[in-house]
Amino acid sequence: MPKKEPVIFFIGWNACINCGACVAVCPQKAGFISPFDTIAVNTPCDIACMVCEDICPVSTITHEPAPKPA
Amino acid sequence: MSTSQYDIVVIGSGPAGATTARVAAEQGLRALLVDKRQELGAPVQCSGAVSRHALEEVGIQPADEFIHEAIYGFGIYDQDGSETIIDYRQLKPDEYGQGANKKPLGYVVDRRRFDRCLMTMAERAGVEVWLKTEGLGYVVNSSGSCTVQLRHFNKEISVEAKVLVGADGLQSQVGKWAGLHTHIKLTELASCLQFVVDQVETDGLLEIITGHEWAPGGYAWVFPKGYGYAEIGLGVIRTMTKENAQWHLDQFIQHSFFKTRFKNSRILEIQGGGVPLAAPLRTQYSDNLILVGDAARHVNPITGGGIHTALSGGRIAGQFLAKLIREGVAPTKENLAGYQEQWLEELGNKMWQLYKEKCQIFKTKNLKRRDAMLYQTMSSYFSPHSEYKKI
Repeated sequence: MPKKEPVIFFIGWNACINCGACVAVCPQKAGFISPFDTIAVNTPCDIACMVCEDICPVSTITHEPAPKPA
Repeated sequence: MSTSQYDIVVIGSGPAGATTARVAAEQGLRALLVDKRQELGAPVQCSGAVSRHALEEVGIQPADEFIHEAIYGFGIYDQDGSETIIDYRQLKPDEYGQGANKKPLGYVVDRRRFDRCLMTMAERAGVEVWLKTEGLGYVVNSSGSCTVQLRHFNKEISVEAKVLVGADGLQSQVGKWAGLHTHIKLTELASCLQFVVDQVETDGLLEIITGHEWAPGGYAWVFPKGYGYAEIGLGVIRTMTKENAQWHLDQFIQHSFFKTRFKNSRILEIQGGGVPLAAPLRTQYSDNLILVGDAARHVNPITGGGIHTALSGGRIAGQFLAKLIREGVAPTKENLAGYQEQWLEELGNKMWQLYKEKCQIFKTKNLKRRDAMLYQTMSSYFSPHSEYKKI
């Protein structure tokens, strides 16, 4: 299977209820978190399984392809 | 950089962490309890239901400081609104009720006040408590202790401990530091949302509404919240539905058999969280490290209840660590395995049984049959004759 393209997550902070469910379900290693009890937003995710988007009770997580290294 | 020495350092001051630290300190250990928040319990990620027995078992006096409302029983509903009422005021009128010499069955607590109260109890028992302190990592030392790196008001501090206790919730980073298999599958984590509302009447019962139509993979609830308020919420398993918890909660409020009851509801607070409907972690310890509470997935896989299991697990951990350290036993992985064994014996084996029951229900393909099984299981779970009454 081809390796998934890394993504960058965005949190719509207006709807985020700081429930932490995205961090709870995230298979990344320790530290893939933001200071607001969510998954990291400035670090590319190379797993790109998107379960954080699925678990979000208010569907406020989206993603874009991570910029390719120059 | 400074280094202080403790017997145990506990990361996370929820019910499990604060109880572990308090029990250990009561038995003579030098304990440090840290939490990254500025106020405990917030943002609220929990409905707050806990039995009176669970509090008393760990020496917590039920107090107005944290009780929103007393609970006397349960109402279990199927998808269409048929109900099983288990009201202990009627089942055992001499024991349960509001009169003199009578008691509630349990409470709905305010997690902000409750967690603060538990931290205060720990503090008064001699635990050192630091807020605004996050854990950054830990290393096992050749001397047999470990060094825990913390950040406290932007200042990096290292402390030395014999045992690090990870009580940092479902989002546990401590478990990941130790390389424990803490990852939970999307199929076993309920996506939950609840509203604290005004204008919805309740009657001292925890109401549980089953049925795939309202909460696929989980259930909906209506809990009394004190001051005439109620809590309406639900949890769904996202692999069983295309829609999110918010959509399902709106459906439940607007279209269920309770729609007339909810007609004038006004939202006062919005809360959410992930609730594991999963097995406990298979390994909850490593060298110089144990996990407690949600971090160890000490959560009832049928009800999603986690306060009782956190308190009991905290007591077991505190007692175990006190004995181990007093006797000078090295806190190696092999020796800390005893904590998990003790926990399995007292609580965990029953939680494994509950997990198997839960799997039986949700692997049933026929939805009608599955709904009937969940309704039946919930109804018998809360009956006075349930073998799981105290889990």
